[in-house]
Amino acid sequence: MASPSASPALAASPAPALRIGQPVRLRAARYLTHWAPVVRSVAARSAPTVTAPTVARLTTQTPEQTANLVLALGRTTDAKGRVWTRVRLPVLPNNTIGWVPRAALGGLSAVRTRLVVDLERLTATLYRGGRRVFRAPVGVGRSQWPTPRGEFYIRNRLSSYRSPFYGPIAFGTSARSAVLTDWPAGGFVGIHGTNRPELLPGRVSHGCIRMRNPDILRLARQLPIGTPLTIR
Amino acid sequence: MIPQLPAGVDVTLDQLDRDGALREAGSRLPRGRFLGLAAGAAVAFGGLASPARGVTKGDVAILNYALSLEYLQSAFYTETERVAAVKGQAARAARVVGAVERAHVIAFRNLLGRKAIKRPLFDFRGTTEDQQAFLKTAVAFEDLAVAAYKGQAHLIESDAVLAAAVSIHSVEARHAAWVRHLFGIRPAANAFDEGKPRAEIERIVQSTSFVVARSRTRGRGGPRFTG
Repeated sequence: MASPSASPALAASPAPALRIGQPVRLRAARYLTHWAPVVRSVAARSAPTVTAPTVARLTTQTPEQTANLVLALGRTTDAKGRVWTRVRLPVLPNNTIGWVPRAALGGLSAVRTRLVVDLERLTATLYRGGRRVFRAPVGVGRSQWPTPRGEFYIRNRLSSYRSPFYGPIAFGTSARSAVLTDWPAGGFVGIHGTNRPELLPGRVSHGCIRMRNPDILRLARQLPIGTPLTIR
Repeated sequence: MIPQLPAGVDVTLDQLDRDGALREAGSRLPRGRFLGLAAGAAVAFGGLASPARGVTKGDVAILNYALSLEYLQSAFYTETERVAAVKGQAARAARVVGAVERAHVIAFRNLLGRKAIKRPLFDFRGTTEDQQAFLKTAVAFEDLAVAAYKGQAHLIESDAVLAAAVSIHSVEARHAAWVRHLFGIRPAANAFDEGKPRAEIERIVQSTSFVVARSRTRGRGGPRFTG
């Protein structure tokens, strides 16, 4: 056997063009919420089976012609191997939850934010990853048109309009007025600016959540679509 | 015990998806935009300054092609881990493999700089939310990645890029063996592996309709909220 010194020298391996770092672990999912667009009109059911009663019908678009969204709260697989998703629904009565086939939803998106509107303190507070990142005074519904309490979500953002009443930006939510049911487009509660900032904070609206225009602009920079909304 | 498959069996998305579970009819998405974009992007950005100094245009295209597959894999495992519907050894594999795929994405993006293609949006159609569908898809993805890297090896011009690709290729092969084992099929079925040409990889990925358009969440009309 030849000695190592007699072997021809092998060329050194070239250095790789990439420097691959350590594996990247995910951050804790504690504050994550998933949402998905409805991509196929579908019946939301009370249980994850096609024979369960229908609790609502979901369309693919909102009255504002944006994608209709639902929050994904859970999932299960039925006996036939179909995946069902438990979703929060934008319907009356508020806080309705149902099951839809996963196939009726599009891709999942995740957010780490949560918006809390306090009807007693008249404040809106945005949390990201559990940390408070925004707080502002708000106007909420008068006693005859109360802002509904419960768990909702942000489902669209409107800004290409001219309406001093709504201010520069309006967010659509899944919350609906329980009394103004004949309001155009279904009486959805929005979060928007105002041309009457002197009324805030106060109980001044038809159920919507009003903010001063600088506040809604500041919120808009930090509020992703799909953010869960708690009104308490 | 792992069921024995006939020698030469090569599991691909096509073969795994005989029941069509992975791809629904009526794709609502821009087919051909994802992997096809990789080559286009490299050409379009050819004149820009890049951190990928010294890398030829052809190698940039191959790197972007690899990045597109790494995006697909990392998004798949990330969503699986976050949704947390997959349990046990499969969940552990998703966690470990996902962390590696994310490192690959970062490495490619750092090398390509402004020439890197953008991350697309995915809809994994429930395959991240069901144990069997997850494993099935993971096997297909890992086998696909192994075949894709191998299929490009002879086209890579730079020794440094080839060294990088080979260093990832072997990791993808380990992943493939791991998830194959978890799925209950032979981890290393063949004595020799063959690469797959890019066109075939693209066809397989596009057939899944996992790459989707972004939902429209910004409206143009005036609000009609209760005010």
